[in-house]
Amino acid sequence: MTNSDKPAAPFTAAGFRRGIFAAIPMMIGSAVGGFAIGVAYRGIELGLPASMLLSAVVYSATAQAVTLALWSATPPIAAMMLAVLITNARYLAMGAHMRQMFPDMRRRIMAPILAITGDGAWMLTAVEAAEGRRDAGFLLGLNTPIAFGWIGGTALGYLLPVTLKGPLAIAAAFLPLGFIAALLPLQWRGKRSLLPWITAAAAGIAAASLIGHGWAMLVGGAAGTLVAAWRSDDA
Amino acid sequence: MPDWTTLSAIFAIGAVSLMLRVGGYLSAGALHPDGRLARLIRLAPGNMLVAFVAAGVLDGGWPYLAGSLTAATVMAVTRKEWAALSSGFAAAAAVSAAL
Repeated sequence: MTNSDKPAAPFTAAGFRRGIFAAIPMMIGSAVGGFAIGVAYRGIELGLPASMLLSAVVYSATAQAVTLALWSATPPIAAMMLAVLITNARYLAMGAHMRQMFPDMRRRIMAPILAITGDGAWMLTAVEAAEGRRDAGFLLGLNTPIAFGWIGGTALGYLLPVTLKGPLAIAAAFLPLGFIAALLPLQWRGKRSLLPWITAAAAGIAAASLIGHGWAMLVGGAAGTLVAAWRSDDA
Repeated sequence: MPDWTTLSAIFAIGAVSLMLRVGGYLSAGALHPDGRLARLIRLAPGNMLVAFVAAGVLDGGWPYLAGSLTAATVMAVTRKEWAALSSGFAAAAAVSAAL
């Protein structure tokens, strides 16, 4: 969708309600992922208030998982900031894409919405916009229960005397990735997606192997995008 | 309450996270909507997420591969996120238990 054919109302209460209902499955997954991170924070004795604050302020499964290993009595703040910068650099591209969807939204309204926007909500909102239902209310509606799930899950994981072990622990750790994998079919554009996606996957795996997991999304995404652009596709 | 060192670390990394989320939105305002970079950004989402899943599967191994394939397949068939996510969870747990 281009800027010229965007409808006039980019934020509606109906969209917000629709987003809340659409987010329920992701909220459950988010709560389970938050629970797992809460259990991990209990393991390093971070404290309940700090654990919840971390999940609320950083609000990123990947960044929190990466920085988890760096927590100590005197946390290496610069190293942590760099780790988050690398891990979450993809949010720059997501934010730029959001601007294309919502160029007419006030920045003071979009900024808090973006502060709690994750990969899954971004992708669902992009799909909605592509289908002619561009609505930042939908994005906020998605974000709200997912954020509650993540922060509440962190608190429960910290408080409950449960230790995740074995297959269930692995499946719980898989859920943040599972969000994204489940939403991929919505981005599939038929055969023209094939070559860019193979390129993106191969470059992502190469980047993860050679320079670190945090670069995979950016490097792989850039490679696949360049192939799509080179073929003049919209895949 | 968390001590000041912990609070400083939390807010420092939170600031980086927020800057990245909001920074892309703000800086993209300077782009011409029909320009080359704007077009690349429109093409990016699916490719970025495929790369993210591929790298995640590389890290997580067979359980993550089974979970991802199951979640994507169930979503493609049912178009229901809850069914896709719960199936992926079950597949990841089952493969992990079998290994």
